[in-house]
Amino acid sequence: MAKKQRGKASSSSKTAGIEKPAESFTLSLESSDDEAPEEVTFEDSKAAALRSMKQALDTARREKQLLKEKRRKRQELFQEQKKRRLLSADVLEEIDSASSKKQKQSEDEGEQEEKPEKEEGDGKKKKKKKRSGKLANARNLKGKYTVTTVKERTLASFQQQVAEEFIRSRLYGPGTCRTTNNEMLSLQNKKGWNKSAAVQFVKKDWASKEKAKAEKLKKRWLHKQQLPSC
Amino acid sequence: MNHSNKSICNYYPLHFIQAVVRTVDVMTYVHESTTGSKGNNVGPGVSQLVFKIVWRQRRGTSIMGEFKVHRVRFFDYMPSAIRTMAFNSQTERLAVARADGAVEIFNFNDNFFQEKVIPGQDGRATEALCWVGHRLFSAGLNGEITEYDLENLRPQYTVDAYGGPIWTISSNSQGTQLAVGCEDGTVKIFAILEERIQFQRNLNRHKGRIISLCWHPSSAQIAAGMTDMITIFDAETGHATRRLLVDRAMGASKNKEVVVWSVGYLSDHTIISGDSAGKVQIWNGLTGTLVRTYLVTKWDVLVLSVSKDESSVIAGTSEGTVIQFQFISSTVDQHDKEWVRTRTFRNHSHDVSALAHTDTAVVSGGMDTQLVVRPLLDKVEKNTQESALRKIAFPHRSLVGCAKKAGLLLFQFPDHLELWKLGESEGHGKPGDRLPVKRKPEKLIELKRKGEDHICCSALSACGGWLAYSTVSSVRLYRIQYNNTISINKVSKLPKELRSVHQLCFSSDSSKLFASSCQSSVIVVAVSQQECRYLHTLKHKTGSRQPVHLLCASDDGKWLATANTDCEIHIYNLHKMKLHCMVPVYNSCPTTIAIHPVTNNLISVHADQQIFEFSLVQKEYTQWSRRLQTQGLLSLWLERDTPITHITFNPKNPDHIILHDTYMFCIIDQSLPFPELNAVLWNQMILKSLPVSQRIGQSHAFKICKSFQHLMCVSLLEDLSLVVVERPLLDIMSQLPAPVRQKKFAT
Repeated sequence: MAKKQRGKASSSSKTAGIEKPAESFTLSLESSDDEAPEEVTFEDSKAAALRSMKQALDTARREKQLLKEKRRKRQELFQEQKKRRLLSADVLEEIDSASSKKQKQSEDEGEQEEKPEKEEGDGKKKKKKKRSGKLANARNLKGKYTVTTVKERTLASFQQQVAEEFIRSRLYGPGTCRTTNNEMLSLQNKKGWNKSAAVQFVKKDWASKEKAKAEKLKKRWLHKQQLPSC
Repeated sequence: MNHSNKSICNYYPLHFIQAVVRTVDVMTYVHESTTGSKGNNVGPGVSQLVFKIVWRQRRGTSIMGEFKVHRVRFFDYMPSAIRTMAFNSQTERLAVARADGAVEIFNFNDNFFQEKVIPGQDGRATEALCWVGHRLFSAGLNGEITEYDLENLRPQYTVDAYGGPIWTISSNSQGTQLAVGCEDGTVKIFAILEERIQFQRNLNRHKGRIISLCWHPSSAQIAAGMTDMITIFDAETGHATRRLLVDRAMGASKNKEVVVWSVGYLSDHTIISGDSAGKVQIWNGLTGTLVRTYLVTKWDVLVLSVSKDESSVIAGTSEGTVIQFQFISSTVDQHDKEWVRTRTFRNHSHDVSALAHTDTAVVSGGMDTQLVVRPLLDKVEKNTQESALRKIAFPHRSLVGCAKKAGLLLFQFPDHLELWKLGESEGHGKPGDRLPVKRKPEKLIELKRKGEDHICCSALSACGGWLAYSTVSSVRLYRIQYNNTISINKVSKLPKELRSVHQLCFSSDSSKLFASSCQSSVIVVAVSQQECRYLHTLKHKTGSRQPVHLLCASDDGKWLATANTDCEIHIYNLHKMKLHCMVPVYNSCPTTIAIHPVTNNLISVHADQQIFEFSLVQKEYTQWSRRLQTQGLLSLWLERDTPITHITFNPKNPDHIILHDTYMFCIIDQSLPFPELNAVLWNQMILKSLPVSQRIGQSHAFKICKSFQHLMCVSLLEDLSLVVVERPLLDIMSQLPAPVRQKKFAT
């Protein structure tokens, strides 16, 4: 047992584990308790150990360098995107000079900044610029575009929907014991002075839309049934 | 009058006489309201045949009137639910806010006439209304407080409260501060300034939304209803001084939180609350203890209203009942007064979500879209016109435009317009026959509005070639061409004077469009194939700033009449483009006006059901009108509870005036004598039963037909066929939201 283990360990350290499956196969064939253990010199094992350490260090360094490269590339990409997003330098100058005169609330119509994108050669990227009130003014910047805030409707309407859902669930949600108009009107017919039938029979065109839809569905179903037969 | 109203039966015995079916020769097609039903197998509900009734009234040997009638039922008018209301006791006006954001003002001094309508807006979702003096504020789930300009019928400005959706708004008794309860749990105080409101501060923030609030009459405390509790705030410091914990419902819904939908705060520090567990609770606000609980319903108590003298409180429930509590004593000596449940009113079929307690009446409205005014019989004299129950279910203005020459109908909805062509039938028949329909009516155009604001008014020219509508922000004009296919083109450049228009009207030759604008002025623009050109602005001299609600032009194109909500009627001469005269002001607001095509007399009917005829040329009331005033109208005519909304004339017989309200239409024959005071008003049945020679002695000027209900419009086309647009109340009721399930015995 011990011989086998030592043999395995030494052979695997020599070959750095590449030929391990083959080795184990051959070992299992040739190993026996009769054979003498293999001799491994001290220098050999020292060299092997040094080599493995160097390799480990190398791989670590390589990985670090790879990561660095990746990070550098990503950073460059971001820089580029940022540059593309921002306005070109001359437009920024104009805005600065315009805003230094006066500051008003923004109430103008928004326009899309297409000029810098055209310069980049990017085609039609529609980006709504959210500028603060300081920059948005009523005047045209060299007659080409005006800047304004975008109305923030999405958040407000979400809250409104939540509130409406609250009312709806409290009044019409589960557990509220509601019935249909049909039933209520039919009960009125039943208990009224002139007793008559349920309202869907009394009123000829009750739920006419639903009936029309049901008719269409029925026709479609019949058509479908007939198709495989013929 | 409303036949199904049993409560006034002991005073109006005549209304049980069967509806008179004797008056018109009718061609009817009952059309399915869906448009996608072409070529379908029509079920038993749709009648392709048409019936016809003849009304014959002989005077000498001439036949009075025999009409073919187009009976139209394809106007799918659907009113919006009433969300909230507020009564202004100084001006006796009731403001009602509907679910689509529209606000209507009713004048309680003038027979409950619907004076003003401010159109709604998508997303406004009004939840609360509040009067401060003469100013009207509303708050809604869009998080904004809106002040309305009642002279120009539009929102004056909106202020975002930045607290999320707003559930409630209330002003203090001095009218200096406005408190709003928001979704984020804060009560925000705004200062009411001259032309605006300004945020002052927040009271302490609490977890959970503030659903309702009420100021103490001293303006020192505010009671706020939230989920599971009521918090009393000190208005000065903003701290919560007391917390009243509300019990949850018994039984299965113990896990469901109870929402305090409404609170009232009285001067003796009593707090009254209505909650979703169906309880009305009376609390002592000083000690924070519960005094009395009333379990009034299995569903929610949605709204409370306290009377001005604080002796009566009414509560509205999801069942459709309104329950009154009064502060009375059980013994004679009046020492131990307590809150006792007294009356229950069952006037609604669906949830009651809005209440107002006036001095003499209980006003309620809810999901069934009807406004009900129930006078309290201990405050008004019994068995009088004052004590009658009033139900207002239909608008007090016409939503149907009719192109008489072309046989087209324009239906106005809040979000779109529909243009329909009337069908044709062939042949003649006896009275009471249904005529076969040769060509069914068809919908030509459905025009959706642009933008968020709802349509305020619309007009169709008599030839059918021009269509215009306006919202609070814009006016749009379209040209319609009827070649093989219908084409509609928008006229793009409208004059800039066309802003903030309340009423629109085309001249009879379709060459001019009249638009009423601010301060009762009228803008005249010329419309033609190429362009729309501003011509003139007509102004009046009285200085009234109230908006114009009625506009009509004469057939010969010379006169234009306008009526505003200050009860003024102005006549303009269109050839000279200036004011001609003003009709003497009558103290009731006119509900409809029309100019006779032949005699050029102005017929006006007012909210108190009086009729006047004014000669435009001579600038005075006509002889007929003076005779009518001297004789007086019959009490049955005056006690009708819906206003006349449209007048039209008969081209073949200039003596006829055709008017209608919701439950009847009437042909007034100016050549016949007026009914005596003890005569029967609805005498058509009687006349039919008499032999022809005796009819003359019994007949009078008012010929009333009640076969068609509920009427949205009655008009006479050029080919002398009558168009009757009906919208049965049952059709509206079938599309309302779900009512509560009530278990009744033996059902």
